[in-house]
Amino acid sequence: MKHMLIRVTALVALTTSLSAQDRGADPLSRLDPSTRYSVELLLDSARHLGLPYGPIESKALEGISKRASGRDIVVAARRVFRALRDARAALGPASSSDELTAAAGALRVGITTTQLSSLAARRDGKALTVPLVVLADLVTRGVARDTASSTIFQLWQSGAADDDFLGLWRSVERDIVSGTDPGVALLNRARQIPAKGPLTAVPPTSGVRPPEDAKT
Amino acid sequence: MTDEFDSLDPNVRWIINEARRPVPVDAAARDRLLEALRAEPAPARAPRFVAWLAQPRNFQLPPFAAAALAAGLVGIGVLSGLAINRDGRPATEQLPAVAVGHPQLPDSLAAAAMKFVIVAPQAAKVSLVGDFNRWDATATPMVAQGKDGLWTVFVPLRPGLHTYSFVVDGQFVSDPAAPIAPDDGFGHRSSVVLVRKPTL
Repeated sequence: MKHMLIRVTALVALTTSLSAQDRGADPLSRLDPSTRYSVELLLDSARHLGLPYGPIESKALEGISKRASGRDIVVAARRVFRALRDARAALGPASSSDELTAAAGALRVGITTTQLSSLAARRDGKALTVPLVVLADLVTRGVARDTASSTIFQLWQSGAADDDFLGLWRSVERDIVSGTDPGVALLNRARQIPAKGPLTAVPPTSGVRPPEDAKT
Repeated sequence: MTDEFDSLDPNVRWIINEARRPVPVDAAARDRLLEALRAEPAPARAPRFVAWLAQPRNFQLPPFAAAALAAGLVGIGVLSGLAINRDGRPATEQLPAVAVGHPQLPDSLAAAAMKFVIVAPQAAKVSLVGDFNRWDATATPMVAQGKDGLWTVFVPLRPGLHTYSFVVDGQFVSDPAAPIAPDDGFGHRSSVVLVRKPTL
């Protein structure tokens, strides 16, 4: 009985140790004191504003891993913080952490807060995460911002689902790799997605303009 | 005995006499019956160890030991969950871009085993970094599969948006099979993976 008790106690101790290991040591301890102070200020500000602070911390850790300078780490973390703040202003306070993170990414590639608000206005309870991830990717791959934004908007308001956006992304990515112009690839592939809801005119907001061939 | 028998009712005496009267039995039928009995398999007896295991017995356990035992069982469950998927199913390959969490667990625990793959034939060392391992290049080494330069690793991910990158011989490389994350600010491209929340 005593031996069994010892084994059980050892097992519990091992489990506790693994759990503690999972949490790990202070991840920001590898930053120099000045950089760390600046990053922690940003983290505190994010917490205070109710913003997700994970992306900010992750950006700092990414900078450490990529051996970026302390200054570059602070600049990058601050850029993420501002993008998150602007994203929430555009999408609304009820937005999820993933939506804000994806929207912050879209802002960082040049999508405007007005364009984000247009998407959010037609949310109908659906999550914006996947369309925003695809939008940021398309712009990064060379699709013009307005073309990408208006095409994603058209698909979004016509009821396209996450799988439609991901399928679109895969097709466009393949076409671009094959040498097709990114904008042409997007417009061609977007036409192949059937509309699932009534199409309405794109709101006359700055920077949002439907592609010519998407009006049909 | 005889007096007692004689004192019985005549009908009862007749029944008793009939019951005592020997019945002629066919000798061949008797032999057939014995043969059939011999053909029956002998009843199997449980091995002594099995009988010992099946034997009921009483235990006396102090409350502390009972609590420690319960905690230990929970610990075994946790360790098993770390080794394989959280729901006990074997890890399965999923698309690199999107995975689905396990619906029977709360979000804080639900995790999908994602398979990350990169082709790097000339590489000597490949690892995976991302927000899920705090961008630690030593935390998630990838394993070379065969001689085709295919490197893979399974990582349990919680539902949500994750940013990651491969580290091939010290160089950061984005995943060609996943959406690109916006500029990282450090001169490299990373990738995005979305683990969907479970739908009940």
